[in-house]
Amino acid sequence: MAKQRKSRKSSRQTSSKAMSTGTTRERVAAIKSAAVTTGNAAVLDSLMKVLRDRDAAMDVRLAALQSLGAAAFASPDFASKRGDYIATLRSVADDPDAELRQRVLGILAREKDGFAQKKLMEGLQHPDKALVLPQKALQLLGYDIHADAYPIAREIVRNPPNPDAKREALRLLAADPASAPTFETLLRDKRETPEIRQISAAALHAIKPESLQAHAREMLLDSTDSDDMHQTSLTALTEFGNPAVSSDQPLMNRVRQLRTQSSPQVQTSAQRFLQRYSK
Amino acid sequence: MLDEDAFATHVDRLTQPESNHAGLVDLLREDHAFYAQRSAAAVVRMRGWVLLAFARIGLTEHALPFVLEELDSGVDPYLVAAAARALRSYPERSERFIPFVGRAIANISGRDEPVSFEQYGAYPTGPTGASPLSELNAVLTWIGAASEPANPDTSDDCCWPLPAGVRSVVAWPRRREPAAIDDVAFEDQDGQHLTFTEFFQGQPSLVLFFYTRCDNPLKCSLSVTKLARVQRLLEARGLGAAVRTAAVTYDPAFDLPHRLRAFVERRGVRLDGNHRVLRSPAGMPRLRLHFRLRVNFIESLVNRHRIEAYVLDAHGRVAYSFERLRWSEQAAVDRIVDVLNEPKAQERSAAKHDRWRVAGTAASVAVAFLPKCPMCWAAYLSAVGIVGVDRLPFLPWVRPFLVALVATNLWSTWSRAATTRRLAPAWLTTAGAMALGLSMAGASSAAVWAIVLTIAGSVLSVRSRQARESTITTAARSAV
Repeated sequence: MAKQRKSRKSSRQTSSKAMSTGTTRERVAAIKSAAVTTGNAAVLDSLMKVLRDRDAAMDVRLAALQSLGAAAFASPDFASKRGDYIATLRSVADDPDAELRQRVLGILAREKDGFAQKKLMEGLQHPDKALVLPQKALQLLGYDIHADAYPIAREIVRNPPNPDAKREALRLLAADPASAPTFETLLRDKRETPEIRQISAAALHAIKPESLQAHAREMLLDSTDSDDMHQTSLTALTEFGNPAVSSDQPLMNRVRQLRTQSSPQVQTSAQRFLQRYSK
Repeated sequence: MLDEDAFATHVDRLTQPESNHAGLVDLLREDHAFYAQRSAAAVVRMRGWVLLAFARIGLTEHALPFVLEELDSGVDPYLVAAAARALRSYPERSERFIPFVGRAIANISGRDEPVSFEQYGAYPTGPTGASPLSELNAVLTWIGAASEPANPDTSDDCCWPLPAGVRSVVAWPRRREPAAIDDVAFEDQDGQHLTFTEFFQGQPSLVLFFYTRCDNPLKCSLSVTKLARVQRLLEARGLGAAVRTAAVTYDPAFDLPHRLRAFVERRGVRLDGNHRVLRSPAGMPRLRLHFRLRVNFIESLVNRHRIEAYVLDAHGRVAYSFERLRWSEQAAVDRIVDVLNEPKAQERSAAKHDRWRVAGTAASVAVAFLPKCPMCWAAYLSAVGIVGVDRLPFLPWVRPFLVALVATNLWSTWSRAATTRRLAPAWLTTAGAMALGLSMAGASSAAVWAIVLTIAGSVLSVRSRQARESTITTAARSAV
């Protein structure tokens, strides 16, 4: 037993040394092969040291970050090192490397870390202080509905710095009941992209389902609307509609028409609708 | 809105010897205006700084429940650590703190991380020597406990003897009539609409507040699970039909009926006509006031709340509240049974009220019939064959006395209207009093209207209250 312990200790020391010295490839290989799953606080310490080392090659640091992430799930020693891990992540959140910043802030945001939320909000309010792109900041803030990101997200929807930011702002607002009017407007705006309109449909389903049902009906009756929205509307009504739909003759007639006079995808959706609602 | 640095300065000022430390306790109330429209993370920073202020000046008896609450059900490392540090400044080292520390260790052990108490809002980026677990272990050392306590969650009864002066079950001896929320509209899990009166009056009930997006599993999720257990305990005692239960959401804008149903059913709650989960989009402000809810919001989303559950009597009045700490299902059932056994006292009180109402009505009618002028007096007196009575020496004192009785009747009728929310009888009585005034001023024809309106208003008022009391009394009697 003592021999085994001595052997494991020796192995850890070798592993730690290999992470810190050698070529980038050698170090990455050492990191990947480090026995993070066998209960190894010293190895975790070494990985965190590598991550903090701003002089190390980025590939090495990213490999360390990845191994730490795996250890969070698999290492019995991780719980005792969690505090150091969180502190380490915060210390590199403002690293010069964009990919590292994004990954680190992503991990912290999923932990609902107040430090990360503060940094992300600051970046949205003052772009010169942004650590990640606005669309990424919005995506990460969306992990915690209590982050008070709705006001900034609404502002970004009104004045988006880019289309991706608008999309992510809308995704974040999908849990905000007060944004229902915004989604209703976007859903019916044929100038909007299909993606934005579908995000709006999904959001309305979550926060104001009766509104989605009403709009879905109107969009189906509108022959000038797109196949995408016809399909979305049919799905919404088929899966979540009220049985009273079957008594809506104009709607039923329209769907019968779509079953034969539309794209294959819409015809399939129309068929499913009629299977549910035809008497 | 006060920015966070200004808040921290304000807190620091309150720790000065010449300051009002009661203001510090006030800052621990979740519904304090300073916490409105703040993110949950901001609220954590702010509350943590207040707890640390107590750690500097000494924790008071009034602040102790907030600290115990954080240990009992807190899951934020900074707040738990700050609470533990504050506890070590309490004047008494009590072994009754040990179960709370044990629970906090169990709650936080998967989320230990370094915390910094040096500066407001500081997030450590390296070891600081302080963490929730280290602070909790320091509490055990301070108490003199030999070792880490066993996980208290293994016990069936979640709750332990509290330190002196701390209560988590509060009796409301002066029960407020729910007049202010009688007509608050609710929607239940099936989309059915009903008012507070329609659900909560007629039988005792247990009501708790929660929301489906609560991210602390030890608060809302656990409370709703406990509600399910209370239902089973009541059923086992044969009281399932005698008591209503309800869970009301703090977040009615998002917690739509289907969401409410799914949340509570997954936790074993029974739903039927007597057991519902409710939302009240328009009624939340009034419910907050009436139940003194300790909750705050970012727009419509909760940013912080305490555990709160209430036992209501058959009139819908709060009899007991369970506040802050995890409550025992058995204790809740015991309080419900206490309330169920109350009906006789309530009936006596109702009868006493009725006697006053009858006296008031009689006085109003008497004034209406009283002659208002010498000719009227002569007419009355000649009608009954009495001559000379108008010269009786005490007669001038009768009119003011009866006017005072009219005023009493008016007050009584309007206060009854506030309770029953039926205003028509009060308006009739008021119109009768006005007609009376006109008749006393010389419009003798108004006297007839004064009589008719006063009698109608007073009788209707008494009848409507009697009918309501009778319903409540009958229901309560059948429940025992």
